[in-house]
Amino acid sequence: MAGNFWQSSHHQQWILDKQDLIRDRQHDLNILTEEEYQKIFNFFASIIQILGEQLKLRQQVIATATVYFKRFYARNSLKCIDPLLLAPTCVFLASKVEEFGVISNSRLITTCQTVIKNKFSYAYGQQEFPYRTNHILECEFYLLENLDCCLIVYQPYRPLLLFVQDIGQDEQLLTYAWRIVNDSLRTDVSLLYPPYQIAIGALHIACVMLGKENLKPWFAELNVDMDKIQEIVRSIINLYEMWKSYDEKKEIQVLLGKMPKPKPAPQR
Amino acid sequence: MGDNFQNNKTMASVMMDYDFKVKTQNERSKVEDLFDFEGCKVGRGTYGHVYKARRKDGSDTKDYALKQIEGTGLSMSACREIALLRELKHPNVINLIRVFLSHTDRKVWLLFDYAEHDLWHIIKFHRAAKANKKSVMVPKGMVKSLLYQILDGIHYLHSNWVLHRDLKPANILVMGEGPERGRVKIADMGFARLFNAPLKPLADLDPVVVTFWYRAPELLLGARHYTKAIDIWAIGCIFAELLTSEPIFHCRQEDIKTSNPYHHDQLDRIFNVMGFPLEKDWEDIRKMPEHATLVKDFKRSNYQNCSLSKYMDRHKIKPDSKAFSLLQRLLLMDPNRRITSEQAMQDPYFTEDPLPTQDVFAGCPIPYPKREFLTDDDQEDKSDSKARQNQQQQQPNTQQNQVQANSHDHGANNAKRMRMPGPNQGNNTSGGGQQEFHQQQQMMFGGQQQGGNSQQQGNFQQRF
Repeated sequence: MAGNFWQSSHHQQWILDKQDLIRDRQHDLNILTEEEYQKIFNFFASIIQILGEQLKLRQQVIATATVYFKRFYARNSLKCIDPLLLAPTCVFLASKVEEFGVISNSRLITTCQTVIKNKFSYAYGQQEFPYRTNHILECEFYLLENLDCCLIVYQPYRPLLLFVQDIGQDEQLLTYAWRIVNDSLRTDVSLLYPPYQIAIGALHIACVMLGKENLKPWFAELNVDMDKIQEIVRSIINLYEMWKSYDEKKEIQVLLGKMPKPKPAPQR
Repeated sequence: MGDNFQNNKTMASVMMDYDFKVKTQNERSKVEDLFDFEGCKVGRGTYGHVYKARRKDGSDTKDYALKQIEGTGLSMSACREIALLRELKHPNVINLIRVFLSHTDRKVWLLFDYAEHDLWHIIKFHRAAKANKKSVMVPKGMVKSLLYQILDGIHYLHSNWVLHRDLKPANILVMGEGPERGRVKIADMGFARLFNAPLKPLADLDPVVVTFWYRAPELLLGARHYTKAIDIWAIGCIFAELLTSEPIFHCRQEDIKTSNPYHHDQLDRIFNVMGFPLEKDWEDIRKMPEHATLVKDFKRSNYQNCSLSKYMDRHKIKPDSKAFSLLQRLLLMDPNRRITSEQAMQDPYFTEDPLPTQDVFAGCPIPYPKREFLTDDDQEDKSDSKARQNQQQQQPNTQQNQVQANSHDHGANNAKRMRMPGPNQGNNTSGGGQQEFHQQQQMMFGGQQQGGNSQQQGNFQQRF
């Protein structure tokens, strides 16, 4: 659906206020630092990305799954549902919404098992993917409830294509900006800003990287709140700064250990 | 799922936090706690079951439609339906009010406003009246108002790049008494149809009768993608059916369990009405996947005397009328030449008197019966009931019952309603012409309902 963003549930319900977001995360931020929290989300975004690639999903579907994941934890603590279960559930739900053919239950579970074993052993060691179809199906209902049935997510990719077209088809610029949009999924910008602003932010960074000074007038002519664009740029640049001094393979096990976890029913 | 929860303790991780689970359970409202609907089933089909419901707390006394989706969990069609309806908002598109997820039996319930009527029942009522040589009083602009609102709703869907993919009279609802009286609501978008393989899901359905009557010729010739033009063709079919009370491309039904889109009998029926398409009228027909089969199976000479104008003329729609001219633009064989919903709404038909009204009944009493509750007996007879949901089949007995059951309605105030005479009476004056007929209507509006039949024309269409 390429409807009107301004009338969408995305715009009306899911562009969150930064202060509210910080407040709702307070439980988790009592246990984790903001940077640790971001590193954990970075990790699960990778799981969603690789799961999606293994299942041959389009980037649009992967991005939607990642946004579902972020929306759930924007309203809930990490301890409510194990993110290792929620991540594939988001992929499963997004693939159905984006009409890309149902992934069979068994294929989903098998892919989870292979991906965790082959690509994320640095995080989970010899531990196998612990969930089965029934867990995913149960989790899916909770996810849908917490999303308030808002399943159509607008992504920056389409506005990005339109902007690059407007600039005058520049393949290198598009490639850079596209990757930056992908990276932006590991920040909070998809919860805080409309997708067209994220697209402009990504273009801005791409222009700086490529030294495209000549596009300054194009940005100046955009009728857009440049403060917001700067906030988006800062979030993404911060992510890149964090990556420079971060070795996920070494640190993630400790972080996962520290992460708030679901508690079972009290024993009687 | 409680068992799984316990089992998980043996694994490294617990999937869900107990307090979170209990908290959400307590906050979750159950559909059966909020609504009364037991014994109030009004519809069933491949999509599931629909109940007429009222709020238990009496905070309003409106009727609601509760749809329990077939099967358990979130099928792709359920996902698509929820995802799209959550975003769509237009007076002529059904409004999803709320979703209930029943975790215990994994059922999905959708809450909508209740629509008392639909075009399947409305057309059936007119056909029954015709068969019984009875008349139905409806405002003369009703078909025009219905078509305009259908186009308005489809234009909204199309401008949001949502294709309906399954337009047919049963999916066009009309609101009964209440604040939205006489308003069209488009329902049951073909959410199950895959964008890239439009015909595959048909094969996945139960072997109920799947109607091909509203399918565009390019689909029958193997077109791989649904398009806006395919919805427009279906609207043309519905328009013709409203004008004549007969499905224009009526064709013998089969239990279809094949993924082959090519359907010889349905194409034959279309050519019998429309004539065989000339190369110049549909240049790309040669590119259709089933074009070779078409050439092998059909002879142009068999359809030499067929044309839409002749067909409609036989049904008392004059080829020089604005209604016919619009119909012809909707039912163009070449999908590239078929008009868009936006163009259709600009057609002179809609600026000609009588103008379309927001209430398709134009304030007149509604002659159609309310939906009947389906009994458990009906439920046993699954194949029959499914066919009834999906099909427009002739059911003489049912039709007769309906007419009789509602005969009292005819005695109501008919100040602005027209009578609908039987076909035989109408045939007497086939040469009467439309103009004269409209004058006749004006006189009838004076309140006289009985008599004068012999000067009226045969069916539904002429009234508008």
